[in-house]
Amino acid sequence: MELLIKILHNYYYMVAILLFIIGMHTMLTHSNLIKKVIAMNIMDTSVFLLFVAIGYTYGGEAPIVREGSEVLYVNPLPGSLMLTGIVVAVSITAYALSLIVKIYRYYGTVDYDEICLIRSQE
Amino acid sequence: MGLEQHFPALIIAILFGIAFFSPLLYRWARKISAPALITALTLALAMSISLLIQVTQGGNITYYLGGWPPPWGVELKIDLLRVYMLIIVLAVSTWIMIYALKDLEHELKTEMLGWYYSLYALLVGSMAGITLTNDLFNLFVLMEICAISACAIISIKEDRACLEASFKYLILSAMGTGCFLLGVAMIYMVTGHLNYDLVSEALPKAVELYPNNMFAAAALFIVAFGTKSALFPLHVWLPDAHASAPSPSSAMLSGVVIKIYAFALFIMFYQIFPRTLLDSIPLNEIVLWLASMGIMFGSIFAMVQVDLKKMLAYSSIGQIGYVFLGIGLDDSMAMAGGFYHLLVHAIMKSMLFMAAGVIIYSTGIRQIKQLGGIGQVLPVTMLAFTIGSASMIGLPGTGGLISKWYLALGALDIGRPIFVVIILASSLLNAVYYMPIIVNAFMQQEEFEHEAKPVPRQMLIPLIVGMAAIIFFGVFSRPVIVLLESAMQMFF
Repeated sequence: MELLIKILHNYYYMVAILLFIIGMHTMLTHSNLIKKVIAMNIMDTSVFLLFVAIGYTYGGEAPIVREGSEVLYVNPLPGSLMLTGIVVAVSITAYALSLIVKIYRYYGTVDYDEICLIRSQE
Repeated sequence: MGLEQHFPALIIAILFGIAFFSPLLYRWARKISAPALITALTLALAMSISLLIQVTQGGNITYYLGGWPPPWGVELKIDLLRVYMLIIVLAVSTWIMIYALKDLEHELKTEMLGWYYSLYALLVGSMAGITLTNDLFNLFVLMEICAISACAIISIKEDRACLEASFKYLILSAMGTGCFLLGVAMIYMVTGHLNYDLVSEALPKAVELYPNNMFAAAALFIVAFGTKSALFPLHVWLPDAHASAPSPSSAMLSGVVIKIYAFALFIMFYQIFPRTLLDSIPLNEIVLWLASMGIMFGSIFAMVQVDLKKMLAYSSIGQIGYVFLGIGLDDSMAMAGGFYHLLVHAIMKSMLFMAAGVIIYSTGIRQIKQLGGIGQVLPVTMLAFTIGSASMIGLPGTGGLISKWYLALGALDIGRPIFVVIILASSLLNAVYYMPIIVNAFMQQEEFEHEAKPVPRQMLIPLIVGMAAIIFFGVFSRPVIVLLESAMQMFF
């Protein structure tokens, strides 16, 4: 019971981990290449969400320092780190999709099992 | 001081800078684009040697990027081990590039060469960054740059095998970096820092408070770096990727790229994670046994290959196992052996891939079976192949013996003779698949039946340099071992 309450209290970590596992599982088991790329994005996004959740403070404000007022701020570092992370994820996605276009041109399919079949017949 | 104190940042800046300008130079001033790349690489190498001198004389250097000290800014740190890795990366990549200038002309379309130079400089720059950085998130970004450029120098060849192999590599390394970032999140959650030194200060307390969190982070790091450096059960991407790539890319990927992640794992284990964590869960044991299995299975898989480059790629899986063995053995002598193997393997595997590249360039043969009698037409290349193989097996007089010797001594030192048996057995296995090629190449009586193009001198000179280096490091190993042993002092 205590564990359950703990989990409910930290539900956002659970959600992030769940998304991570969904992404990783789809990425490694699905044979459709486009789905692999989508799953890769889900996986990356889960980590971004986790980071942003870490940075949140209850009742915190946007981290803009105003003269003379002492208020609680949200940690700005994870958010800015994740902006970089998103850029990196976008570039990997772009590269992966362009590879898929080329693969489709050579094999006529985006299904990994069919590609393996074609390669084994060569 | 002046310019000298900015060398750590300049090394990375100059390589990323040339990566930006290479395609432009190739377009508008084609003649100077290749010399410009070589100059940039040589300059970076010269700076790293100057860093080595600075470190040996004045101790460790820290460099704040943009002048912001650690809790706010990114820090670069230079100690003996890092500068050793940096010199290996830069020296080997300069050496491979000199070979590549000629080899690439026949492997790639002419208009792609400028892009290749750009990707190559990006790859080298990101690896130099990985060795120097002292910040977890910075490491993540550099790892992603390294992953994209490493995949791109495979897929730039644009044939069916390359595209498929590089996609597989990309997906698996994206999984690796995803795991790494999750691990960083776990660490950031409990310590609130990203800088290595600050994290390692905060971690002993964090391990007491949140042990499960830290176990998860350690496991994620093993998966992340294991995938990227082809630790045994996570090696599936390597053979296709390294075998189908253009030969200079294969040399680069097999020689340097997989090592850099082994080095990063070493830094995580011994610089960031506190001793208590390493003692409370058998992290070292896991790495040790995976490495041993990699050593055995890599060699066994290599035996059954028919394609020369694929055989070399499987052999890399076995050889990276030695480096991980050094990391896992937790003994300064074994670690020195592991890092010595890192240097020697970077040279010999690059050279073997270059020799394979010369064979493909000259005769177009990839099958091991057809290599009978090739020693008569390509004597220098096959001599290089012989020396490289001898070092793989660990014959006396080559660098391979020294690293295995120190690994074995280290294993005996902490009372684990089983690993000496594994090292010996794998040497035998290496002999089983390298020797027949050499014997066939030189001893066969009948004439070599395929046509052979003459090999340009620019491709042979790097091979001769490689042979000299392997024998040099086999005979005069003392200075490097002394350097490594004093570098290991920091971790014990």
